Amino acid sequence: MPHGGKRGASPEALALLDEAACGLLQTSDDGTFLRVNRTFCQWVGRAADELVGRQRFQDLLTAGGRIFHQTHWSPLLHMQGTVSEVKLEIVHSDGTRVPMVVNAILRGSEGQIVHEIAAYVARDRDKYERELLLARKEASRLHTEAKDRALFAEQMIGIVSHDLRNPVTAIVLATELLGLDELSPAQDVAATGILRAAKRANRLIGDLLDFTQARVGEGLSCVPEACDLHEVASEALEELRLSYPGRALPHVHTGDGRCSADARRLVQLVGNLVSNAMNHGHPDTPVTVTTNGTRGDALTLAVHNDGAAIPPTLLPRLFEPMTRGTKASNVRSVGLGLFIVREIARAHGGEMAVRSDASAGTTFTLTLPR
Amino acid sequence: MSLEKRHNVHVSGGGPATMFFAHGFGCDQSMWRSLAPRYAERYRVVLFDHVGSGRSDLSAYDPAKYDSLQGYADDMLELAHAFAEGPSIFVGHSVSAMIGLLANVKEPEAYAAQIMISPSPCYLDDGDYVGGFSRDDIDSLLETLESNYLGWSSTMAPAIMGAPEQPELGVELTNSFCRTDPDIALQFARVTFLSDVRAEVPKLRATTLIVQCNDDFIAPVKVGEFLHRELPRSTLRIIDNIGHCPHMSAPSATATAIDEFLVEEGLDAPRG
Repeated sequence: MPHGGKRGASPEALALLDEAACGLLQTSDDGTFLRVNRTFCQWVGRAADELVGRQRFQDLLTAGGRIFHQTHWSPLLHMQGTVSEVKLEIVHSDGTRVPMVVNAILRGSEGQIVHEIAAYVARDRDKYERELLLARKEASRLHTEAKDRALFAEQMIGIVSHDLRNPVTAIVLATELLGLDELSPAQDVAATGILRAAKRANRLIGDLLDFTQARVGEGLSCVPEACDLHEVASEALEELRLSYPGRALPHVHTGDGRCSADARRLVQLVGNLVSNAMNHGHPDTPVTVTTNGTRGDALTLAVHNDGAAIPPTLLPRLFEPMTRGTKASNVRSVGLGLFIVREIARAHGGEMAVRSDASAGTTFTLTLPR
Repeated sequence: MSLEKRHNVHVSGGGPATMFFAHGFGCDQSMWRSLAPRYAERYRVVLFDHVGSGRSDLSAYDPAKYDSLQGYADDMLELAHAFAEGPSIFVGHSVSAMIGLLANVKEPEAYAAQIMISPSPCYLDDGDYVGGFSRDDIDSLLETLESNYLGWSSTMAPAIMGAPEQPELGVELTNSFCRTDPDIALQFARVTFLSDVRAEVPKLRATTLIVQCNDDFIAPVKVGEFLHRELPRSTLRIIDNIGHCPHMSAPSATATAIDEFLVEEGLDAPRG
């Protein structure tokens, strides 16, 4: 190096350092340049004798870089003895900024400390990193927007369902009162139709409210109490048989049915699974509900129907909201039934499984920890 | 969660008073390694990391709380209540000097004395007041931080060579530096360099030592003189040092200033 090369080093070695493919410099502990090679001088547009003894390394940095130098670089160098891969912008004599990646080693002891620094220009890396940063900011902005939109939509569903519940309940009550007086056969048919439709609307509203509670809130509410799974299923099926006249809905039960669960939620779960099985199963075949309490740690509740298998592509998303079979649009208006089934299972610490093929039919199984 | 874990507290030594050492922006408690051990021979010494720095519990970082220096000051009071034995002395570097001031203004009996190393109540220039920085400078700092945390966040750890003489130290510091979450670092930088606590300065009742370096780009001597004028009971000591961290680059001179101050204030302790 032209300024204070090492004693004994050959002229070839010094020339090599001077023309090295990276900037090489040496400073005192306060940053004052002691030696600097030609490569660095060329990169920053300054002569060696402008720098050596006159300028400090940090004087060539941007204001932000100088703060970083004081708050990160210096302490790190003092504590670790080395710093590497720090990216700083060096201000060229023409005022432009040259992004560089800088490594440094601290040598010597108190009073005689020297910093040895190697730097290389990193314009492309700088551009690439800036693009990455911009892309990351853009991604995070879009993510926040999408989350806000989804939350708004879900809250909207909750509010609308809640507001719909009162008028629908009024329709149910009024229609039931109608039935107390004598009606003509045509009026009776109409009143029965209104009542059935209104009750179905009420159940759908209930599903929507459960859906928003599960998605926006902290999961479905669930109050487990000691109960018997066989009895809960049996009572639920008795009620359901009225809704599906002409369809067989047998109940098979084995073992000990005692468990801790929210009976109201289990009835809802059985209702959704049976309704699903009735809609998708073959109309001439029974839907069978099996409750099994032979295992010590957990009970199971299975709902089986014969009929076409669920397409394999649909299986992974089956319990997600709004997932429906291809031509089921005449059957239900919104696909929340199975989502709520899974949420009820989760709220009990249990899980849902499904098996489906053309020969054995489709079975949904709840596993419920005892 | 315990306060010890939240702030990675290390208590050592014993003596007639408790010294709390608070690190500044960009670092952690290891900054005090040249100074704290001297005082642990004569005082009870409490070292800690601010929440969001070093090995503090990052899950305790609440962006709303730490959006002003007062959030940090409230932590200082919690630490004082939990760890002080006898009168307390708060030693704060850089922004922590002002954090200590805010804590002491809120609770005058919390500390008997404040020792401020390279303090500044306001980094931005404002009319006649010379803080040393413009808003553009701070934006350029945030940019520098962002481009460096690209690497700091994950790949920096293996890239830093360990200190050959103290390999275990190298590893430890690398980890604590790298553990700083970039979002937290950016917010701390913003809160630090855009803070203005000048209005609070005259309210401090505790006796104060201001240690300023004669060549400090971040906290110029003028800022030290401003503080000395505004603080009712203060001593200003200018140390011959280039840079912002005299406790690291000039530990002996810094310790001498502190020792003389402690003697003058009747807070001295016998040497072991």
